[in-house]
Amino acid sequence: MDDFFQLDDLVMQFGGLTAVNDFSIKLRPGELVGLIGPNGAGKTTVFNMITGFLTPTSGRVIWQENEITGFPVHKVTEQGIARTFQNIRLFTDLTVLENVMISFHQRIRTYFWEAMFGFPTYKREEKRIRDRAMEFLQDLGLAHLSKEKAGGLAYGQQRRLEIARALATRPKLLLLDEPAAGMNPQETNELAVLVRELRDKHSLTIFLIEHDMKFVMGLCERMKVLDYGITIAEGTPAEIQSNPAVIKAYLGEPK
Amino acid sequence: MSKERRNLLLNIMSIILLFVVLFLFNTYGTNYQIRILNNMAVFITLAVSYNLVNGICGILHLGPNAFITIGAYTSALLTMSAAEKQMTYIIVPLIWPLNVLHTPFVISLLLGGLMATVFAYVISFPVFRVRGDYLAIVTLGFGEVIRVLANALQSVTNGPLGLKGLVPYTNLWWSWGIAVVTIVAVTKLINSSYGRAMKSIREDEIAARAMGIDPYKHLLMAFLISAFFSGIAGGLLAHLITTISPTLFTFFLTFNLLIIIVVGGLGSTTGAVIGAALFAWGGEALRVVERPTDLGFLKIPGIPGMRMVIFSIILMLVIIFARQGIMGRHEFSWDWLFSKLGRKERGL
Repeated sequence: MDDFFQLDDLVMQFGGLTAVNDFSIKLRPGELVGLIGPNGAGKTTVFNMITGFLTPTSGRVIWQENEITGFPVHKVTEQGIARTFQNIRLFTDLTVLENVMISFHQRIRTYFWEAMFGFPTYKREEKRIRDRAMEFLQDLGLAHLSKEKAGGLAYGQQRRLEIARALATRPKLLLLDEPAAGMNPQETNELAVLVRELRDKHSLTIFLIEHDMKFVMGLCERMKVLDYGITIAEGTPAEIQSNPAVIKAYLGEPK
Repeated sequence: MSKERRNLLLNIMSIILLFVVLFLFNTYGTNYQIRILNNMAVFITLAVSYNLVNGICGILHLGPNAFITIGAYTSALLTMSAAEKQMTYIIVPLIWPLNVLHTPFVISLLLGGLMATVFAYVISFPVFRVRGDYLAIVTLGFGEVIRVLANALQSVTNGPLGLKGLVPYTNLWWSWGIAVVTIVAVTKLINSSYGRAMKSIREDEIAARAMGIDPYKHLLMAFLISAFFSGIAGGLLAHLITTISPTLFTFFLTFNLLIIIVVGGLGSTTGAVIGAALFAWGGEALRVVERPTDLGFLKIPGIPGMRMVIFSIILMLVIIFARQGIMGRHEFSWDWLFSKLGRKERGL
């Protein structure tokens, strides 16, 4: 299964600006791959092209041997690709539990009139969804907060809830957009452990964007570096650290 | 489990109690009181179904008057007998097959609801291509188009003359029966997975899509269900006031509904019910301000339309001082009531 997930020469142009140019990558099942680069390098644009928020100007997104380029967002999620957001996007006025339960809706087996008229088939389904959602909350240590409004959680808890919510869509590929942003060093360490655990437990492939170099270098097996939309390096963390092009992109030209 | 059973029991008991009260009014109440109660029920149906779109899905839809118009005309045309129709359409005769169709009241209501749903489906394509202010303008335009059509299509609607002398089929049982069914069905939908999906679109459409929710499908679902109940309520309204004409279904009807759900609390069915009840009762109570008054030292002539001024002031006050409305997004529940009562008993 080498062609589990593949991006072929993705290009994204906004008017005259090329945000991402010829981005290609292949992911094998179970891999933990990082995507780094300075601000504005086009990392989130890559995620947006994968998940359907943006349709690439050219290039292809291949998922399990099928092309999914330009699919509507919810169809991409249905295929088994879930994401989190750089700036947290929770359903703030709903409870923590409801936030996770929403992810089960795409696979609901009952029709709306069964819900409207209180059919027992719907009641069973609702209970099943609730129980499964609670399991995901437990996995991420949020079960005790299930009845709280999502908007009232602490920052780190909100980040974890985003992951729980993405996991509940039952993805095979999880895209994490700066999961450690705004976390203190201890929380970051815990997150690294958690990400590994979740990958093993749910047999996930994880592709993540991160600014925290220590976090990425310790966690990812392989990474790619973007600068101004162009891939300037790829390889293991050790290779990236000593790559002159990367050092130049981050620190500038030595005088 | 026992809590669930208790709540179900209490729900059934309160519905029975409601109908006992209605029976008492029906037997001993004055025509005026019965009329207010009927109005109240129709507005509850309208507000609860309107709130499903505006409060739960969080889209500003300004065209419910279109669906009420369609429901009212469809239902009225179906209950009028062929002879009555011939008498009414004096300028332009009614087109076939409408001139011979004649159905019982309940079927006319259902078909009124269905017709409104069909129109809602057709309009949904332009409506859901846009969001926010643009959506508001598209739906507002649709409401206006339907009103103008009701004026112009004389061979269907009898134009500005309207339809007169409808049989007053709407009684307390019909109006409140349908209000209760609407409340139960809409509440169950809102509390279900489908309702959660609608709320997630309201909260953050981008995140909802990323979680596999198809916004178009769910907004359409809410829109159609809302149009269906609005259409039925339109049929009830037609057979309550027995005379309908395009002037009855202007934007003011939408405006009134908007006041009701905003004052009640956007996104709360309980709020919609309270708002509608206050509106129907307050609308009558406030007739005082339109009557000429003599305060001894000061004579105020009757100012027609003064009620709308007061309603608008109330709306402004709510927006300034209590933006969440009466209920906010909270709902009445027995659990909440018992926890309040329990606290009182413990002396807290």
